[in-house]
Amino acid sequence: MPGRISRRRIAEYVATELIEAKTSQAKVLQQLAAFLVDTRRTTELTLIVRDIEFQLSQKGYTNATVTSAFDLTAATQKAIEAFVKDKTKAAHISLTTHVDPSVIGGVKVSLPGYEINQTIAHQLTALKTRFKKA
Amino acid sequence: MSELNITDLSADLRSAIEHLESNKNLDEVGIVVRIGDGVAWIHGLRNAGYNEVLNIETPSGVIEAFALNLLEDEIGAVLLGDASEVKAGQTVRLKGTVLEVPIGPELLGRVVNPLGKAIDGGPAIKTKQFGLVEREAIGVMGRKSVHEPLMTGVMSIDAMFPIGRGQRELIIGDRQTGKTALAIDTMINQAKQNTGVVNVYVAIGQKFSKIARLVERLKAEGVMDQTIIVATSPSDPASLLYLAPYAGTAMGEYFRDNSQHALMIYDDLTKHAVAYRQMSLLLRRPPGREAYPGDVFYLHSRLLERSAKLSDALGGGSLTALPIIETQAGDISAYIPTNVISITDGQIFLETDLFYQGIRPAISAGLSVSRVGGAAQTSAIKSVSSHLKLGLSQFRELASFSQFGSDLDEATKKQIDRGQRLTELLKQHQYLPAAVWEQVVSIGAVTNGFFDTVPAPKIKAAQSALQTKLWADHKKDMQELDKGAKPSDDMNALIKKVALSVAKGFEG
Repeated sequence: MPGRISRRRIAEYVATELIEAKTSQAKVLQQLAAFLVDTRRTTELTLIVRDIEFQLSQKGYTNATVTSAFDLTAATQKAIEAFVKDKTKAAHISLTTHVDPSVIGGVKVSLPGYEINQTIAHQLTALKTRFKKA
Repeated sequence: MSELNITDLSADLRSAIEHLESNKNLDEVGIVVRIGDGVAWIHGLRNAGYNEVLNIETPSGVIEAFALNLLEDEIGAVLLGDASEVKAGQTVRLKGTVLEVPIGPELLGRVVNPLGKAIDGGPAIKTKQFGLVEREAIGVMGRKSVHEPLMTGVMSIDAMFPIGRGQRELIIGDRQTGKTALAIDTMINQAKQNTGVVNVYVAIGQKFSKIARLVERLKAEGVMDQTIIVATSPSDPASLLYLAPYAGTAMGEYFRDNSQHALMIYDDLTKHAVAYRQMSLLLRRPPGREAYPGDVFYLHSRLLERSAKLSDALGGGSLTALPIIETQAGDISAYIPTNVISITDGQIFLETDLFYQGIRPAISAGLSVSRVGGAAQTSAIKSVSSHLKLGLSQFRELASFSQFGSDLDEATKKQIDRGQRLTELLKQHQYLPAAVWEQVVSIGAVTNGFFDTVPAPKIKAAQSALQTKLWADHKKDMQELDKGAKPSDDMNALIKKVALSVAKGFEG
C-alpha cells in the first residue's frame, strides 16, 4: 500500500511542473484536483496552495499581498514591489493590494511563508501583550 | 494584572505609534490550521526549531506556544496560555528563542508559575537574568564527587541513608505516607541549621489549597525567605505541568552556578509523567508501555542529571534533588518508579504498614538506600550510626519471634529489646527536624546501651529529657558537637554520664 505523500512533496511537484511548462497549466491543475479527490484530501487544498506558492517563490515567482487601511498610490506600490524584489531576489513579482480599515494605518506585506507587518494594529497587539505580561 | 498607570500607558502608546518599528526584515510566518486540547497545529514555519517559542497573534494579544512536533507538513505546538483565544487562521511567528524563565535571587520568597510569573498576589518579579528551561547537564569533568552532607533533620535519614549535596535521592511511597512531609522537614532544617541552602519546591499538579498551607507553614518556620515555590494546579494545562520541573531546575541552577547550594524538590514526578503522556498522546506520538511515550525515561533522566556537585573550578556549588514518586499499593516495580529508581542515587521508601503502626516517618530500613552513603555523612553521626542499621536489620529478622517472649534466649530478647528501642527512637514529629548534636546524643544513648534499662514506650520521653539536660547544663559542648566533628573521648564520656543518669528516671 503506497504511503501518504506529504503536502510539501505535492507542492514541489506542481510548482516544478508549472515552471517547466512541459504540460499546460490547466492540465497540471486538473491532475492535482483529480489526485486530491482520488485520495480524499480535498480539505487540504488551501494548505497545498499555500505550499505551492511557497515553492514557486523559492523558484523566483513571488506573489505578494499588500494590506493597508487606505488605497496605496502607484508610487507606493512600486516602492513596495522594489522592496520585495530586493528582499526575495525573485525574478517575477505579482503584487495584489487589499484595503482593510482594521489595520488602522501602515502596511502589511505578506509573502509566501513570510511577512512584514508595520501596521498600527500589529503594534497595538504587541503593546497589549506587553501590558498583559506585566 | 498589575495596576495600570494611565499616564505611563498613554505615553507608551504614543511612543509605540511614533516609533513604529522599521523592521525591514521578513518575519517567517505560519498559520494555525487547527487547535484543540491545548495543541495548535501550524502550517508553515519551516525553520522552527525543537522547543522554540512561537507567538500566536490573537485579537487580545500574543499567546505563546512551543514547538514539540516538527513534522514535514505541519508543526505541533503546545500552548502556554489560554487556548480559547487561539483560532484557526491566526498568524504565528517565531520568537527566535527557546523557552526561558526569569532566574535570580529576586525569586526567593515568591510563588511563581512555570513561566516565572508571580501567582502569590505580590508585585511582578523583575529579574536581571533569564535561564534556559531545557539545558544540558554538566559534563563529567565539571563535577566533583558528593562529599558534603545535606542534613535533613530526620534521624532515620541522616543516620542510615545520609544525603549529600549534589545527590539525587528519591522519596517513594503510596499516597498519604509522608513523602511531602519529609521534603518539608528537609526544607525547614535548612533554615533551622542556617545551612544557606536555597530550597526550590516544584509542585506539579498539586491543589492550590495544599500549596497555600505549605506557604503558611514555611513562613511560620522562617523558611520562606530562602525558598522558591514553582506551583501548578491540576487545572493548569498539561504543558505547564510538563515545564514546571525544568523551570524550577533552571531557577535552582542559578544558585548552583554561583557557588551556592540549592535543594530541588519535585512533588511529584508521577503527575509529571502523566502530564507528559497526555501531551504526547495529543501530539499523536505513538504510545508505548502503559500508554507512556517511548522517551518517558529521558523525560526524567535529563531533568535529574542537572542536579550535581560542581567541581572547584566551576565554583563548587551544588544542586541536590529530592524527586517524589507515588506508587500504587506499594508496587515499586511499576514502570515509572523503576525508571526513576534507576536514575537516582538512592531511595527512601515509605511503607503504608509502618505508617499505620505509628512509625512515622514510615521509612523502610530494608528497602531504602543511599548510594553515596558515608561519604556524605557528618563524622559525628557516623560515629554513632554504624550499629543502628545493624541493630534494626537484626530486629527485623527476629521481629516475628517477639510473640514468643518467654521462650527466647537472653541474647535474642536483648536484640529484640534493642530493636524496639531503636524503632521508637527513630519516630519523629513533623516540623521538628533534629540538629546534629540532638541526633548524635539520642542515637548514641541507645546504640551504646545507655538506655537499656528504659522500656521502649518511654524512649521518646527519655530522649527529650536527655537533650534538655545536655542543652541546659552543657550548652557549649553541644554547640561544639553540632559542628559535626567526631566526638572526642571526653565528649563521649559526658554523654554517657548524663544519659545514664537520665535513664535512671525512666527505668521500667
